[in-house]
Amino acid sequence: MFVCTLPLFGKGGFYTLINFICRLRILVSLNMEEELLRLKDEALATLDGLSDPAGLEPFRVNYLGRKGQFTLMLRSLGSAPPEERPKLGKLSNQIKKELENAYTAKQAALQSIQLTTATAGGLDTSLPGRSIPFGKRHPVSQVMKEVCAVFESLGFSVAEGPDVELDYYNFEALNIPQHHPARDMHDTFYVNEGVLLRTHTSPMQIRTMENQEPPLRMIAPGKVYRCDSDITHTPMFHQVEGFLVDTHVSFADLKGVLSIFCQKMFDENIKLRFRPSFFPFTEPSAEVDIGCVICGAKGCRVCKQTGWLEILGAGMIDPEVFKKVGYDPEKYSGFAFGLGIERIAMLKYGIDDIRLFYENDLRFLSQF
Amino acid sequence: MKFTLSWLKEYIDVAIEPQVLADHLTMLGLEVDSVDRLNEHLAPIALARIEDVQPHPDADKLTVCSANVNGEILQVVCGAPNARAGMITAIALPGTTLPSGMKIKKSKVRGVKSAGMFCSEIELGIGDDQSGIIDLPADTDINGTFIQAMDLDDTLIEVDLTPNRPDCASVVGIAREIAGFTGAKMHLPVKQIPVLSNANVPFTVKVEDAACPRYTARLLKNVTVGPSPWWLRKRLVAVGLRPVNNVVDITNLVMLGMGQPLHAFDFAKLKDSAIVVRTARKGESIETLDGGKRDLDEDMLLICDSEKPVAVAGVMGGANSEVSDSTTEILLESAYFDPISIRRTARRLNMSTDASYRFERGIDPEGTQKAMERAVELLVDIAGAEVVEDGYDVCGDLPLSVCINLRVSRTNSLLGINLTAVQITKYLQDIELAVSQKDDDTLTVCPPSFRVDLEREVDLIEEVARLEGYNDIPTSHPTVPLTFSEQQHGRDFHDQVATIMCTLGFYETITYSFISEKLIDMFTPGQDSVKLMNPLSEDQAVMRTSLLPGLLDSARRNLNQQNTDFRLFETGKVFLADSDVTVQPTEKIHLCAVMNGRRHPGAEELYFGMDSGDFFDMKGSVEQLLRELRLDGIVSTIDSEQSNPLCSAFDPALSVAFGANGTVIGGYGRIEKNILMANEIKHELLGLYIDLDALLALQSQAKQFKSLPKFPSVRRDVALLVPDGTPAGDIIEAVKESKEKLMENVAIFDIYQGKSIKAGYKSVAFSVLYRSPTKTLKDKQVDKVHTKIVNRIIDRFNGTLRTD
Repeated sequence: MFVCTLPLFGKGGFYTLINFICRLRILVSLNMEEELLRLKDEALATLDGLSDPAGLEPFRVNYLGRKGQFTLMLRSLGSAPPEERPKLGKLSNQIKKELENAYTAKQAALQSIQLTTATAGGLDTSLPGRSIPFGKRHPVSQVMKEVCAVFESLGFSVAEGPDVELDYYNFEALNIPQHHPARDMHDTFYVNEGVLLRTHTSPMQIRTMENQEPPLRMIAPGKVYRCDSDITHTPMFHQVEGFLVDTHVSFADLKGVLSIFCQKMFDENIKLRFRPSFFPFTEPSAEVDIGCVICGAKGCRVCKQTGWLEILGAGMIDPEVFKKVGYDPEKYSGFAFGLGIERIAMLKYGIDDIRLFYENDLRFLSQF
Repeated sequence: MKFTLSWLKEYIDVAIEPQVLADHLTMLGLEVDSVDRLNEHLAPIALARIEDVQPHPDADKLTVCSANVNGEILQVVCGAPNARAGMITAIALPGTTLPSGMKIKKSKVRGVKSAGMFCSEIELGIGDDQSGIIDLPADTDINGTFIQAMDLDDTLIEVDLTPNRPDCASVVGIAREIAGFTGAKMHLPVKQIPVLSNANVPFTVKVEDAACPRYTARLLKNVTVGPSPWWLRKRLVAVGLRPVNNVVDITNLVMLGMGQPLHAFDFAKLKDSAIVVRTARKGESIETLDGGKRDLDEDMLLICDSEKPVAVAGVMGGANSEVSDSTTEILLESAYFDPISIRRTARRLNMSTDASYRFERGIDPEGTQKAMERAVELLVDIAGAEVVEDGYDVCGDLPLSVCINLRVSRTNSLLGINLTAVQITKYLQDIELAVSQKDDDTLTVCPPSFRVDLEREVDLIEEVARLEGYNDIPTSHPTVPLTFSEQQHGRDFHDQVATIMCTLGFYETITYSFISEKLIDMFTPGQDSVKLMNPLSEDQAVMRTSLLPGLLDSARRNLNQQNTDFRLFETGKVFLADSDVTVQPTEKIHLCAVMNGRRHPGAEELYFGMDSGDFFDMKGSVEQLLRELRLDGIVSTIDSEQSNPLCSAFDPALSVAFGANGTVIGGYGRIEKNILMANEIKHELLGLYIDLDALLALQSQAKQFKSLPKFPSVRRDVALLVPDGTPAGDIIEAVKESKEKLMENVAIFDIYQGKSIKAGYKSVAFSVLYRSPTKTLKDKQVDKVHTKIVNRIIDRFNGTLRTD
């Protein structure tokens, strides 16, 4: 150490001592600057050589601690000539900062090494993290939300309506009179002659139009019921029905809106086709097919080798329906569409048995 | 609707690949369900000419034949009675698998080598004939294939018809659609349609009901009833019909080909040679051809003779007038029946036949005679019949096809396209609609009689769209005024509840809205329920009045699958019936949750152990839910002595009801053991039940900022010994209610019973936080308030300060 290593003390008398002190003052200021830089180099080299975090603390104590070398040297600044002190002060602060930064950086570096080394420092970082798992929404709810979100973004309102519905709203008002063969398309659960479980959420079209004037944009999500049960049918399933009514709404508009929907739901570049179909409450009626998402439209079991998957039923609202709700079919036009949520979920997630949705097996629910 | 390509080609020249044709039809609205190459599996079957037949040395019923197969002479043991020298038949050679799955091998039959098997129709799956091996005409080219020899190479196409296109329930109808887009020429069985007079015919027809606006009948004599020729049987089998005899087969062939159902009566069985078309008389019944006895309602339309019904009109013939092998005279019927009448009858009798399918959708009102003449021609050709001149053609008020005005402007605006009158005219004429220009913007369109679906302008607009091609209609976006899109009331709330439940570790389930009737009383005693008239099963017979049965069902399923640690919930509707069943029930949205097993299902056992969740886990979930909904200060525990339907499934010994304004809106706790037992659950499940509608109706606490405290708080801990039965929660409430200004919060941190605590007592330790809004509290000030509060609690709960 600087003070102790001076060899002059024991040999000379008082003069020597005085002389020494005078000379020392100059010497101190010169040597202090050198020593500070030397100490800095030494400390940085030591720090650089550290590879074990265990060496960090001794280093800190030795150089930067309260009784560390650097602190002691700073304390001895008082012995430097007054004119030298500001310069030395500035230098030592600079060095101290530099050393502290280097120390912090080394500390971080060694810790990150430790984290990547499984058993470094005695902590087994390969052990699992600690958290309490969340539950999950049902896949049907997830897809339902996704479908609704697309239409809500397009400014559609949402209305749900009753599951136990009147024959009038489910059939009559939708241009499906008693004894119409179209009733064969709906295997209906009846509560009594005039009350049934809705077979589609289309009754909300009527209920809404009865109470509101165009322009209208609305979707009706909900449960629907048909007496049918096998690998592709459950007696209860979920539908989203939607419609848009205003003056001058055209079939081209229907194509536009449903194209947006399919692109957002599946893929921006999805292949789409519209083909004629029949629904009593729309004319013209259409089915919308998307290129099979399972096989990339090459043809597979799911798409029955056609490369196409039926995804939506749609059409221009039939003038008879407008008449039932008191709209002038010459003035207003509109389109309606409907889609099955389970079917979309099955296609999106590759589920092959619709009944799984209602068994609520956690091994199923936890996959989505 | 099924048809074969060969059948189609009888009516139209199509030279398109079947798959391309199918795509065309689909894009025209005739969705093709399947395109199948027929009889491909029969390719390995070869032709054999039997050169010699010798008796089998060891078996009376077997013969040993030598046969020429592809120029090679093979020895084949045969059991068929009709094997004879010179016969050309089918042979399955070793390595061939028959449709039955039987694999042909070289074998020895009773000691005699056999190099293959001669086949019957039934063995090859091409017909019902099992009387012997196939007997091909002598001029068959034995160097060709069996498929060629039998003309079996064909393609079956199945179209999924929509209810509006009954005209396409015939091969002719499909051919017309194809002619529309290909322009190919049609070959209709062109017939001279005779004008029928009934002046001298040896039978009478009397139509007594308006539901039969047309009834055509002719008599055929000297009919030889027997099996149909191969080409006819092959055609029917290909589309899935079982050949019966030549007469029945011909009526079926004409129906499928032309769309007009026909019926043949055994004339000898018609009493007084009379046909009377009338509705059923009270108590009348009939045995139909399928062997069923049908009780008839008085509005059902029948075909009768002078005394009894002989057919259910448009649905099925009666057994009493069925054509049999001994029949020699047949009366052939070709009629038009009112669609609604037929549909009602068919539904009521629960019978759906090829005939009723066509009648109830509407056949061509002008097609009866065409079909009749085609059938007569075939009966003469095939069954050797002699047709009696003339017949009946009773014609009443047939539905008239009307001409419709079609506006070009309307067509374009509704479709979003820009077609000219000329283009529209061309499209419609291509599918046999008569079009004339009425004025600049209007066309007058007269549909043919078979297009019963075209009644209105919009129907024609659909035709234009269909023929233009939906994919060729441009895509645009509606321009509608900007309006605020209102969402269903409560929708966000329900979503929020579900999200909170998920963050609390619960998985959302969806269960069926219908349950077994016996569960109604178990879960909601006394509640009226909505019963289904036609449930799929007893287990799904009534609409649920509680979500719990469904959730317990899901719980049981999971337990059976060894998923024993779970938190499940469902939000959904329950249906509370009104005593008046003609009105809709009240539909309310409830929340139900159950938990079982580990405290945190799925969490690392390493950190969280295997401790089971208990009452407080459910309580905590409820508190957290209410807190998140900002309803924690509004909903509170209710002592509900009366059993509330929302809580009736909970064990009174370990459950809590809660509500607001004195009304119970839910509860939680242990589910009653007997309910669990009844649902075959052996575990002790905890449940939660909330009327979400009631929860939604509550006003949640508004968000209101309070300034952050400027001065530090001081905590004082205290442990009291209180009598065992004292609810600790009451102590906490009492501290809160002390209304001391400096008291900020209080919380229990320990409950202890055991060594060092005297019997009948427990230690309740809690901390109280003190703070002043205006200054830093000094110990002395805190001590003063704290002592006051503690003393008050000691007094109130008969406690003592714990000193150990």
